[in-house]
Amino acid sequence: MEAYLLNLVILISLYSILGVTLNFIMGYAGIYSLAHAVFFGVGAYAGTFMAMHVNASIFVTLPVAMAAGAILSLILALPALRVRGEYFVAASLGLQVLAVTIFSEWKSVTGGIGGLIGIPPLNIAGFEVFKPSQFIFVTVGALIIILFVINRLVHSSFGRSLRAIRDSESAAAAFGKNVPLIKTISVVISSALTAVAGVLYASYLSFINVESFKLDTSVLIMAMVIIGGTGTQAGPIVGAALLLLLPSLISYLDFLPQTEIGSIQQIIYGLGMALLMIYRPGGIVGRKKQSETGKE
Amino acid sequence: MVASSAGAQNVLMEIRNVDKAFGGVKAVDDVSMDLRAGIITTLVGPNGAGKTTLFNLITGELSKDSGTIKWLGNPINKIKPFQAARAGILRTFQDLRLFNEMSVEDNILTAVEDNSLPVPLTKSQRTARREKVEYALNRAGLFTKRKIRAKDLAYAERKFLSMARVMATDARLWLLDEPASGLDPNSYEKFLEILREEVKQGVTVCIIEHNLDIVIGISDRIAFLDRGKLLADGEPQSVLNDPELRAIYFGERT
Repeated sequence: MEAYLLNLVILISLYSILGVTLNFIMGYAGIYSLAHAVFFGVGAYAGTFMAMHVNASIFVTLPVAMAAGAILSLILALPALRVRGEYFVAASLGLQVLAVTIFSEWKSVTGGIGGLIGIPPLNIAGFEVFKPSQFIFVTVGALIIILFVINRLVHSSFGRSLRAIRDSESAAAAFGKNVPLIKTISVVISSALTAVAGVLYASYLSFINVESFKLDTSVLIMAMVIIGGTGTQAGPIVGAALLLLLPSLISYLDFLPQTEIGSIQQIIYGLGMALLMIYRPGGIVGRKKQSETGKE
Repeated sequence: MVASSAGAQNVLMEIRNVDKAFGGVKAVDDVSMDLRAGIITTLVGPNGAGKTTLFNLITGELSKDSGTIKWLGNPINKIKPFQAARAGILRTFQDLRLFNEMSVEDNILTAVEDNSLPVPLTKSQRTARREKVEYALNRAGLFTKRKIRAKDLAYAERKFLSMARVMATDARLWLLDEPASGLDPNSYEKFLEILREEVKQGVTVCIIEHNLDIVIGISDRIAFLDRGKLLADGEPQSVLNDPELRAIYFGERT
């Protein structure tokens, strides 16, 4: 039971990192990306490659993975952010599809469909972290650091520029904001931080394959952000916890026919999300509907 | 031509032979005019005359088909909106385009800041910024509402916030797109007072306005546009008393 809970908390904190980093661009800059799992995957593969072939120290794996995520995101952001929002969604979807092919085919780095096994444990200054009871401190610690970094950014003039761009791109530009540059920087920061989750994920499981980095994951992360509350600090974490806990909670309800549990879960997800978006479009943590707060 | 004060006739912006067509329609047709320092130039003309398009061409929101625009003597033909803002040319929008989800204060703060990189500001930058924001909040009468989200403001307050964003900056030229439309008489008295005060302090204004009382009340110079063409550009009385222009303006076209 303890191992089960530890595992759950580790996964929740890893997915929270994914949610928090996606929320940074989605909730503050209004950039909707369907390629978030790609940067998660790039972090995982790049970190693993370094750990297996060069050095397993996080002082090597993390910077390389973050740089890889940042550079790849530039390739997406530079052309796609010069145009309007919808095109970025389409371009990111394209990147997601393309990346899955590369993850499945580039056997020397990704291990192909079969993936990579025997990934070395996380090495922090010579100390190997592999027990879940220790790893939990790493993932929760990483989440806290990333939350802190993003919180600082959001409350700086840079964060205000992002929100201004989200609310009115043309007005932001009319007040001196270099909109494409600011958007590009935000995507690069988000992607580099996402890669951190990839490194931790790979060394925690000691096994990765393309299944973890497909479109489903990108959609799941986006659902976590939306359900928890886009543009809020705690929203993505609440969303990640809820969507990872829900399957286990549902499996505790013994009156449900266990053989159909999968489809029942889908129905509950679908209904829950539809109802939430109707009655609480800001998400669980987000503001209530505008008519309820209204004017004073 | 008598200047309202000495030295106020310096040309800040020189617009020469500017053209812009949308499909077959000439929205701005060979327009040449000057924006002179320290005065209020009003653009008048019927709907579709090309007034807002001219603003969009000046700030680089749209690109010109031909012609040149000089700012402080330098051509700014390929300028982008953010560069125009940093060069000291700011505009408001007819539909306001406030940062709706942000507080009144953050709206103004954002307008003052024009850095793109995520680097912290120095202490003196912060203090200077704070002073500008407070100045604009007070001028616009929004100080008590500073924590409220822009979208929760009343209509007139939204218009004043749109002005406050410009007022807080150091911009030399303000391009105001119908800033007073829809204001009640009290509010627009207050608006005119703010505008006159700011011009006295050295700001140059080009304003699009339909209300003739306001036009007469504030204009140092009037430029009359119709179907993209500049029909007149001069002293308010001479433009407003021209029977032909009056006919066009009041829809009695021949």
